Amino acid sequence: MNNSKGKRSNGDEHEDEDDEEEDEANGGGLEAWERAYADERSWESLQEDESGLLRPIDNKATYHAQYRRRIRSTPSTARIQKGLIRYLYIVVDLSRAASEMDFKPSRMAVVAKNVEAFIREFFDQNPLSQLGLVFVKDGVAQCLTELGGSPDSHIKALMGKLECSGEASLQNALELVYGYLKQVPSYGHREVLILYSALSTCDPGDIMETIQQCKKSKIRCSVVGLSAEIFICKHLCQETGGLYSIALDESHLKELLLEHAPPPPAIAEFAIASLIKMGFPQRAAEGVVSICSCHKEPKVGGGYTCPRCKARVCELPTECCVCGLTLVSSPHLARSYHHLFPITLFSEVSPSYSSKQQQRIPKNCFGCQQSLLNPGNKPGLFVACPKCSQFFCLDCDIYIHESLHNCPGCESLRHSKPVIDAEE
Amino acid sequence: MKFQIEEVTVYFPYDNIYPEQYSYMVELKRALDAKGHALLEMPTGTGKTIALLSLITSYSLSKPSNPPKLLYCTRTVHEMEKTLAELRRLHSYQVSLLGTSANYLALGLSSRKNLCINPSVVSTESRDSVDAACRKLTASWVRALAMENPNVKTCEFYENYEKVGSEAILPPGVYTLADLKVFGKEKGWCPYFLARHMVQYANVVVYSYQYLLDPKVAAIISKEMQRESVVVFDEAHNIDNVCIEALSVSVRRQTLEGASRNLSRMAQEIDRFKATDAGRLRAEYNRLVDGLAQRGNLPITDTWLSNPALPDDILKEAVPGNIRRAEHFLSHLRRLVQYLKGRLQTENVEKEGLVAFVASIYTQVGIDQKMLRFCYDRLHSLMLTLEITDTDEFLHIQTICDFATLVGTYTRGFSIIIEPFDERMPHIPDPVIQLCCHDASLAIKPVFDRFQSVVITSGTLSPIDLYPRLLNFNPVVSHSFKMSLTRDCICPMVLTRGSDQLPVSTKFDMRSDPGVVRNYGRLLLEMVSVVPDGVVCFFVSYSYMDGIVNSWNETGILKEIMQQKLVFIETPDVVETTLALDNYRRACDCGRGAVFFSVARGKVAEGIDFDSHYGRLVIMFGVPFQYTLSRILLARLEYLRETFQIKEGDFLTFDALRQAAQCVGRVIRSKADYGMMIFADKRYSRHDKRSKLPGWILSHLRDAHLNLSTDMAVHIAREFLRKMAQPYDKAGGSGRKTLLSQEDLEKMMTNGNIQEMLF
Repeated sequence: MNNSKGKRSNGDEHEDEDDEEEDEANGGGLEAWERAYADERSWESLQEDESGLLRPIDNKATYHAQYRRRIRSTPSTARIQKGLIRYLYIVVDLSRAASEMDFKPSRMAVVAKNVEAFIREFFDQNPLSQLGLVFVKDGVAQCLTELGGSPDSHIKALMGKLECSGEASLQNALELVYGYLKQVPSYGHREVLILYSALSTCDPGDIMETIQQCKKSKIRCSVVGLSAEIFICKHLCQETGGLYSIALDESHLKELLLEHAPPPPAIAEFAIASLIKMGFPQRAAEGVVSICSCHKEPKVGGGYTCPRCKARVCELPTECCVCGLTLVSSPHLARSYHHLFPITLFSEVSPSYSSKQQQRIPKNCFGCQQSLLNPGNKPGLFVACPKCSQFFCLDCDIYIHESLHNCPGCESLRHSKPVIDAEE
Repeated sequence: MKFQIEEVTVYFPYDNIYPEQYSYMVELKRALDAKGHALLEMPTGTGKTIALLSLITSYSLSKPSNPPKLLYCTRTVHEMEKTLAELRRLHSYQVSLLGTSANYLALGLSSRKNLCINPSVVSTESRDSVDAACRKLTASWVRALAMENPNVKTCEFYENYEKVGSEAILPPGVYTLADLKVFGKEKGWCPYFLARHMVQYANVVVYSYQYLLDPKVAAIISKEMQRESVVVFDEAHNIDNVCIEALSVSVRRQTLEGASRNLSRMAQEIDRFKATDAGRLRAEYNRLVDGLAQRGNLPITDTWLSNPALPDDILKEAVPGNIRRAEHFLSHLRRLVQYLKGRLQTENVEKEGLVAFVASIYTQVGIDQKMLRFCYDRLHSLMLTLEITDTDEFLHIQTICDFATLVGTYTRGFSIIIEPFDERMPHIPDPVIQLCCHDASLAIKPVFDRFQSVVITSGTLSPIDLYPRLLNFNPVVSHSFKMSLTRDCICPMVLTRGSDQLPVSTKFDMRSDPGVVRNYGRLLLEMVSVVPDGVVCFFVSYSYMDGIVNSWNETGILKEIMQQKLVFIETPDVVETTLALDNYRRACDCGRGAVFFSVARGKVAEGIDFDSHYGRLVIMFGVPFQYTLSRILLARLEYLRETFQIKEGDFLTFDALRQAAQCVGRVIRSKADYGMMIFADKRYSRHDKRSKLPGWILSHLRDAHLNLSTDMAVHIAREFLRKMAQPYDKAGGSGRKTLLSQEDLEKMMTNGNIQEMLF
């Protein structure tokens, strides 16, 4: 590159000089053409270590920094009432614009991949919630899956129908979703997440009325755009209290989608405490043949039996088709619980700080007992829980906040407390 | 917030101020101190208006003994209302801090059409017919008749106003046009005459350019303004054209025919008066012998737009003897009209200087320069004598007299151009005599001479050194300010090549090349598929737009564009264009997306904003040069070269680039907004063209964006739109401070040792 540049700058042709100016202007980052391929430059993610062996670059630190930025941005001030029972429709735009190639291999494929990840994450974080899929193509909206609690059935349906054509219609999608969501019981949080590729919407009527309708029935609409900010989407999100964001690239898209996985703050009117009748069905014995009430066909084994009407359902959580009771299992409830009591953010301990207070620093992570020191015995970056002042490595930090939802230090402190008391 | 600029305490109604607003105020203050004129360029969307108002009113407050008056000129009624709304906010802030000592009177003044509250008058549609309807009810002889005969209709609002006489005053405060109407209805006073009356006492007057620049109007309305006034021309990038238009008249065949009709009607009236009331004509004759000086004593409702040319001595001179008698004057006019008709018969284009033209009038019909000069006033006097109230019927003869007076008054800076047909449509005969003014400084000269400070300001005044030459004045301050932005929210690009790498241009020899037309089409097509909501396109002329849209239609490109966005087109018809704009906005609002095709120098390019989602992208197809074969333009260019040593090329480029900047500037109306601008012509990449763009566009025009082809532009657009859609911090990060609070300002001043702090 350098060589060719030198040669070119000798030439006195006007055009070439212009090109060169361009190069210089972008010089700080990547070339325009390079940026498009930046994700695929796998050979660059290798580095040579001291002994001359190739090994992947250690990008743990940057990954962790990203993660921490994300949790810090979500207001974690404790005890915000959250809507734990969510009814979410994901609207995927499969109009002509979804076949554009600015995301590789195409917008549609990238969206599908990330929606899959999102569905799994969603059910992981909101076990009590239900989700449905809607497609928009050829100017109409069609329901792909109805509200349900099984990630696999949604993903299977999503992957089966991936082709795009025609125009997108925001209004049709909203009308369809509105029709489904207005039947949802009032304790549930109605949400729509729209993945919008197109830059316009072709509507049969006045979309403003539809937006007002959604606002009135408290449907929270969020949009993740793939190309540029569209006024009507912004308006929709503002009116209904949702989030509007535009993806810069694939990883950003994933980040934006995952922002929608944790439950949103409860809408004030629904925040009053109310009792919800729930059933905890038993798992039916294996090998029993019964007619499943949700699919209307005989099935063998593996179902659950509604405790009130004894109807058989295939999966939890769901609503009994016969008596309308909400059916959940107790682990679901337990897993939702942590959203209400988030763990405080661990504070970062910088190596310089640790070098001053040598006596306080343990060598190992309290969680995994791995050494906190980097290879070469240099002290690395690690974190401390502000409550129990135990130290954790970065991996444990992520694990504790994202999966465990309990701080091992605090938990063990609670258990050992009586002992300390006794000693005193 | 309030802060000091030297000895003046400035009251600013917002908590934060942009740095450029602050420096704007500092420069403005210098100009006021020096009692000189100023030329200030600051991009739109940076709060120019409030900075101006806040500094000037604060300046007056700091000089309680002799507060300068502010005359604020806007181009449209809409801008007038916006300015007054800002002023009201400022005023209430100042009153809340200073109490009643900060009270002042500010009002807007507009034509009767916008201020009349008499339902029977205001229901007529055009401006002239409202004026005439008002006169029918309020002229002094009508009111005198009404005294005797109660069946004669008068305007109750005016009668009430007249009853209280000079007692009728407005309490201090800020009055928009709507407020004036409300106040008028409440009290039962005529808002128009009340405003006219109060203008002399008000501290701030907001009105349109014409009230100062058009000599016909200026002499009536702005006559009594004191010298210690600050005159502001806002959005003044086209001020030279406004000045020229104020002194240019064109006469067509219809005008002449109408004038003949008017003349015969006046002859009938004269005969009638002779039979019934010969004394009146006699009295008029005597008055004219004494000269026109007593015109000032006429009742306010009778005063009329005064003389279009304004050497002061004309009022003191006596009317020449041979047009003092009504019938003599009429026959003179008849001969003049006849002469002009004869000139219109010509087959060839004729161009003549004023001296030669006057000489030829004298030899052919025997009317000399002095008689010509008095035509307008003599006509006015005659119409008063004849008690003619339906003045809108007499517009034609007024035009002729206007023409005659201008011809009789000036010798330099004008020319007469007679064209038998429009250059662009040679088959349709449309003869016209045009009296063209070439020198913008003629109309504005009295303003510069009379007032101590004149501020000319706009978003686009580049290159700023040309305006003083065009308007022939010496500014004490001339400065161009940049916009401080928290993010790069404008993205200008120069596109020189189409997707096939061939150059694109609207140069005359290239514009009809199918390759160029196709490349422009592909450019628009690609752009509408990546830009959301509204896209605005500007073409160089109506005929070019018609041509290119036609060929896009034939090649099917238009159809493809319509799949992405709806297409709306500006036409010369105002109503149609307004309708198109309305629907364009609706299409943008509801998310369908739309493209607006418009013409540089059209109505849309000048007055309509495409802010936020109404304009995410503006494409300027070609360089909007004026029609260079037009005789008027050629004559003006020649004059400019001879008188001001401005080269033709320089002026044309300046004029074209100012239009282009004006067009693309439509998309950015505030700092929170963002938008892209594409200059699609290879000529923009040349330095002499590009460097004439205003600084705030140039500073964002990166070298990498200077020589793009369609595909590169599409790529840049995509990235830009994604980047702009990300949330951002409005106050600006730690690096670039773009909003200053009171503390920041104070810190800045003490650090920079600008002055000692008083508080």
